Amino acid sequence: MTPSILSAENLTVESRLADGRRLSVLSGIGFALEAGKVLGLVGESGAGKSMVGRAIAQLLPPGFGVTGGSLTFGNRDLVHMGADARRELLGREIAFIPQEPLSALNPVMTIGAQFGEHLARIGTRSKTRRQGEALALLEAVHLPRASELLNQYPHELSGGMCQRVLIAMAFASRPKLVIADEPTTALDATIQARIIALMGEMREAYGAALIFITHDLRLAAKFCDEILVLYAGRAVEKGKARELLSAPLHPYTRCLQLAAPSLSAPERDLFTLSGEMPGLARLADLPGCRFAPRCPNVGEICRTQEPRLTPVTAPLGDDPGRKAACFRTEMTPGIETRSHAASSRYERSSPLLLLVEGLEKRYRSRRGLFANTELAAVDGVSFTVAENEFVGVVGESGSGKSTLAKLVIGLETPSAGRIELGGRDAFDRSEAARRRRVEVAQMVFQDPQSALNPRRRAASIVTQVLEAAAPRLSASARQRRAEELLAEVGLPAELGARYPSQLSGGQKQRVNIARALCATPKLLIADEIVSGLDVSVQAQLIALLRRLRHELSFALLFISHDLAVVRKLCERVLVMRHGKIVDQGLTEVVFGAPQHPYTRELLAASSE
Amino acid sequence: MIVQLLGLFARRLLVAIPILFVVSALVFVVLRVLPVDPAAMSMPPNATKSEIEAKRQEMGLDRPLPEQYAIWLGKTLKGDFGASIHFRRAVSSLIAETLPATIELALLAMLLAAGLGFAGGLLLFHWRGTWRGEAADLGSTMLMSAPDFLWGLLFILAFGVLWPLLPFTGRLASSFARPVHTGFLLLDTLIEGRLDMFLDVLKHMLLPATALGLAFSVPIMRVLRSSLYEIDHADYIRQARLRGVSEKRILLRHALKNAILPTLTLMGVQFGFLFGGTLLIEVIYSYPGLGNLMVDAVRNADLPIIQAVALAYAAVVLVINMIVDGLYLVLNPRLRAA
Amino acid sequence: MGKRLARQDLAFLRSGRVIAGAILVGTVMICALFAPLLVPHDPQEQNLITTLVPPAWSAGGDPEFLLGTDSLGRDVLSRLLYGARVAMTVAILASLGAMLIGATLAHIAGYFGGKVDWVIGRAVDVWMSFPPVVLSLVLMTGLGAGISSVILAIVLVDWTRFCRVLRAEVLVTRRQDYVAAARLVGFGHWRTLTREILPATMPLLITLFSIEMGIAVIVEAILSFVGMSVGANQSAWGQMIADARQTIYESGWNLVLPMLAIFVTVLGFNLLGDGLRRSLDPRLMQAREL
Repeated sequence: MTPSILSAENLTVESRLADGRRLSVLSGIGFALEAGKVLGLVGESGAGKSMVGRAIAQLLPPGFGVTGGSLTFGNRDLVHMGADARRELLGREIAFIPQEPLSALNPVMTIGAQFGEHLARIGTRSKTRRQGEALALLEAVHLPRASELLNQYPHELSGGMCQRVLIAMAFASRPKLVIADEPTTALDATIQARIIALMGEMREAYGAALIFITHDLRLAAKFCDEILVLYAGRAVEKGKARELLSAPLHPYTRCLQLAAPSLSAPERDLFTLSGEMPGLARLADLPGCRFAPRCPNVGEICRTQEPRLTPVTAPLGDDPGRKAACFRTEMTPGIETRSHAASSRYERSSPLLLLVEGLEKRYRSRRGLFANTELAAVDGVSFTVAENEFVGVVGESGSGKSTLAKLVIGLETPSAGRIELGGRDAFDRSEAARRRRVEVAQMVFQDPQSALNPRRRAASIVTQVLEAAAPRLSASARQRRAEELLAEVGLPAELGARYPSQLSGGQKQRVNIARALCATPKLLIADEIVSGLDVSVQAQLIALLRRLRHELSFALLFISHDLAVVRKLCERVLVMRHGKIVDQGLTEVVFGAPQHPYTRELLAASSE
Repeated sequence: MIVQLLGLFARRLLVAIPILFVVSALVFVVLRVLPVDPAAMSMPPNATKSEIEAKRQEMGLDRPLPEQYAIWLGKTLKGDFGASIHFRRAVSSLIAETLPATIELALLAMLLAAGLGFAGGLLLFHWRGTWRGEAADLGSTMLMSAPDFLWGLLFILAFGVLWPLLPFTGRLASSFARPVHTGFLLLDTLIEGRLDMFLDVLKHMLLPATALGLAFSVPIMRVLRSSLYEIDHADYIRQARLRGVSEKRILLRHALKNAILPTLTLMGVQFGFLFGGTLLIEVIYSYPGLGNLMVDAVRNADLPIIQAVALAYAAVVLVINMIVDGLYLVLNPRLRAA
Repeated sequence: MGKRLARQDLAFLRSGRVIAGAILVGTVMICALFAPLLVPHDPQEQNLITTLVPPAWSAGGDPEFLLGTDSLGRDVLSRLLYGARVAMTVAILASLGAMLIGATLAHIAGYFGGKVDWVIGRAVDVWMSFPPVVLSLVLMTGLGAGISSVILAIVLVDWTRFCRVLRAEVLVTRRQDYVAAARLVGFGHWRTLTREILPATMPLLITLFSIEMGIAVIVEAILSFVGMSVGANQSAWGQMIADARQTIYESGWNLVLPMLAIFVTVLGFNLLGDGLRRSLDPRLMQAREL
C-alpha cells in the first residue's frame, strides 16, 4: 500500500469559550491522503473544512487547539511538532493556495520581490538563478509577459492572474502536499474553470498530493479522487468522488446534491432543507446526530445516539473505503424533491412594466495629469420586463449588470438613454414622482451586512416604508404589519425583536426581501441576493421567491452570475458582457441551445 | 516616478498659493477688528489725540480695508514685510533672525518624535495582549494627556532646577560669541569648527526638543501599533506565514512597509501641530525663535510682525505637508498609476 | 515577552477606562461647580506676609494653606478650585460650539457630496494649514482678551477637527446599502440623515467631544499662560503656571500643582473618550480590537 502523505485519525479541534466551556469545532475527522491524489473536503460554511487546513499549519485562531486525535505528515506528528520544525515544513513540503488571491499578495511589494523572497527561502541562493526560476514558474502557469510581471504590483493584476502567481509560488518548492482552500470561489466562472485545470496540471507535473476545500459538491466530484463531506464539524460521508456523487449514502450529501440547481438536468424542484447548520455555540447542546433536526429521514435512534463514520458496502460495490455516519443509509435514496406548484400570473399578453432603451452609463477615470479615459459600464442596453415576469440578468464581474440594476432603480443617473417604469419616466426627480416610485419598484441588496442598519431591529427594518409613508401609524398596527411580513418570508415573529447581528445570513436576506415587499412593489430588483450563501440556504431562498410569486404578484429582475440559479427562477434571461447585452431570450432556449459564443463559454465554465 | 513626484509638487505649489492668499487675507481682516488701537499703543502715554490720529494716518490705518490689504500685498510680494512698530526694525530681518532657530528646534524635535514614535510603536505591538502591553497602552494614554508645554515645564523643573544637568534658557551660553552665517547655529558652529560651541548649542536644544518630541511621539506610537495590529490580520500576512516566513521578517519586511503609510499620514498632521507647538516651548525656554517673536508682537499689537509671522507659520506647515505627501507617493505603489 | 492575556481579562481592563475617566472628570466638575463652597480662602486675597509658603506636608508648611501660597500670598488650593471653574466652563462651551458647527458641516458635506463637499473641504484645508496655537493667538489678538474670546477662538479653530474626522465617518456610512435602501423606501434627506446616518456617527461624535474638552482645557491654559485669558482678578491654571515660573527656584510646588491639575483633567477626558469609543458600539468594535 502506498504510504500516505497526510493522515488524520480521530482529529478533534476545540475552542475554549469565555466562560470556560469547550466547544468542539471538529471531531473524529479521519482520512488518509496518498501521494499524487486529490482529497476533497466538502461542506457549507461553518462545517469546519477550513479548520483542517489551519490545523495542518497550526495557525488556528486564538483560543482554538487540537485536543485529540492525530495528524501525521509522512511519519511526522504535526500536532506536537515544535513551532520551528513546522515552520521548516511550511512553504517547502506543505504549501497553501488561498481563497482571495488579490489580497493574498503584499500590496507594496512587487511580484518579483515576493517571489524572490520565497525562492531564497527554499534554497536558491543567487539572484540571477532566482530570477530564472521565477520566470520559468510563471511560464508554467501560463502567464504571458512574465518578465514584465515581476516588476508589477498586485493591484495591477487581475484576480485570476494573482491566483496563478500564488499557484506558481506554491508549487515552486515541489511540495509533497498542497492545500487549496476555496481557491476559485472569488473568481469568475470562466476563470474558475481554467484555474482548476491549471491546478490539475501542476499537480501532475510535480506529483503533489492535494487537499481541495470547497462548498461545491459537483466541482469536487469533477476534480477530486476522494471526497470527505463535513457537517457541523463531523465527517458524515467518505468515498470515491464519482460514486459519492452518483449514489450518496448520507442524507445530508443527498440533500446537498438535490439543493444545487442544475443546468443540464431535467427541470425539477430544488430540495429545501429546513433551518440552517447549527452554529458553534449550539453544537454542544445536540445529543445524537448533528443532522437530526433537519434530516428528512430522522428516527428515534438518531436523536439519542451519535453515528460514527462506519464502512458501508457501496451500492456499486467497488469502493472499500466507502463510509457514512448514519444509522439509516438505506433510506437515503428515497429522498426526493417535493414539487411546489409554482404557477405565476405571467402571460404573454401582460402589459409592459419596465422599458429600457439605449441605456448608457459612462465613468471618467483619471490617469495621470492629463489623460482622461472613459469607461462605459453600461453601453447601449435595451430590454423590457412585463408585469409578473421573472427576468434574469447574467454576466461575469465587470459586465455591468450591477450598474444596470442601480440605473433602473434610480440609485445612479444614466449618461444617456430612457427608462420607463409603469408607464412613467423614471428620471423624474420631483418628490412626488419619487414617492410614487416607492410602490412601483424596490430593490433587494446583495450584501446583507451593509443592507440592514445594524442599529435597527428586524421588525423596524421590514416596516421602514411605513415610517415615511404613514408616519402616524400606531405602534401596534406597525407591529402587526411586521409580523405579517416576517411570516410571509418564512420567519417566526419573535425574530422581529432581533438585531441584524443576531441573525444568520439566510435570515438577513429574508428580512431584506421582506423590507422590499412591504411597499408591495410591482417590480423587484434583486442584485446577487443568493451569492455568497450556502447551497442549502440558497435553495430555501429560491423556493421562497417561487412561493411569493405564487401568492403575490410582482415582476422580478434577477441579477446573478450563477446560470443554474437563473434557470431555476426566471423564464427569460439577458446575457451581459462588457456593458452590452450579447444574448437574450427564453431561458430554456438560451441555455438549452446557446447561439452566442459567450453564452456557450459561460455554460461550459459552469461546474457540470 | 520622478515625473509624478514633480507633478505632485507642482500641483501642491499651485494649491499653496491661493491658500496663502486666503490665509493672509483672513489674518488681515481679523487683525483689523482689534479692540486695541496699535497707533495709540506705539505712542507714549501722554500723546494727544491729534498725534495719535497722525500716527494712524502714517500707519495707513485710516484707509479702507481692501486698500490696506492691497498695499500690504504689494509690499510683501516685493519682499518688504514692513517695519515692526515695537522693535522699529524691518520685519524681514527679524524673521530672518528667528526663523532658522525655530526650524532647527522643530527639526530636532521631529527627529526625536519619529524615532521615539517608531520604537515605541514597535514595542507596543510586540507586547500586545500581555500585561506589559496593557500597562504600556495605559501609559501611552496618560502620556498623551500631557501637552508639550507641560513636558517642557517638567523638564525645566527636573533637569534644570532640581538636578541642574542642562541649561534651559536661550540657544547658546552667553560666554560664547555667536557665529553668524546661516542662522542655523548647529551648522554655524560646525562651519567655524568649534566643537565645544556645537555641543553647547545641542545642550540648549535638548530639553525643549525632547519635550516637543516626546509629546508628539505618542500619537505616532499608537497609530503605528494599531496599523500593525490591523495588518497582522491581513490576508497577505497570513499567506506569508503559511509560506513559512519568520515572524521577524514578516514584521519588518512585510507589515512595517504597509503600516508606515497611515503612520506617515498622521506624522504629517502631527508635525504641523509640532511646528505650532514650538511657539509656547520657545516662550517657556526663552528661546529666541519665531514663537517668542509672535508672543511679543501679540502683546504689543505689533500688526506687521503678526501678519508676517502668521504667514511664515502657514508656509512652513504647507511645506511640511508637501514633503510628507511626496514621501507617501514614493512609498505607496498604488498611487503611482501605471 | 509574557503570556498573552485571555479575552475576558482584556475586556475587564478596557471597561475600567470609562469608570476611571468618569471619576476624574466628575471630581473636577464637582470642584468647579462647588468651588465657592469648598474654598478655604478667597482666591484673590493677597497676604504679603505669608508668601511662598510650601504645602502643608513639607517643612515650613502651614495647615491653614493646605497646598501652600503663591508669590502674592494667595492660597493655592483656592486658586486651583476656581481655576477649575474657568477650565470647565471653557471646556464645555467651547467643545459644544465646535461640535455643533463641525458636526453639522461634516454631515452636510459627507451626505450631499459634490460641490458642497468641495467647498467645505477646501475651507477645512485652509483652516488647517495653520497651526492651531498660532491661529488662536491671531484670533485672540483680534478678539481681545477674556474668557468669551477664548471660547470663541477655540470654537473657530477646532471645528475643523470635528469636521474632518466626522466627514470620513459620514462617507463610510453613506456608502452602506441601508442608506440607499432608506431613500428607496421613501425617506427624505432629513429623515435619512437623522434616522440612518446620525445614529451611526454618534459614538464617534461623543468620543471626539470628550477629547475636545481635554484639548479646550489645554488651549485655555496656554492662553492664560500668555496672559490673554482671564483678567488678573481671576484665577486660571495657566496663569498660575506663568506666575510660578518667576519663582521656580524658590517654590517648585507652585509650578507642579497647576500642571498636575491640567494633567488630571485632560487624562480624565481622554480616558472617558477612549473608553466610550470602545463600549458604545461593542457590536462593531469587538471584531477590531483584541
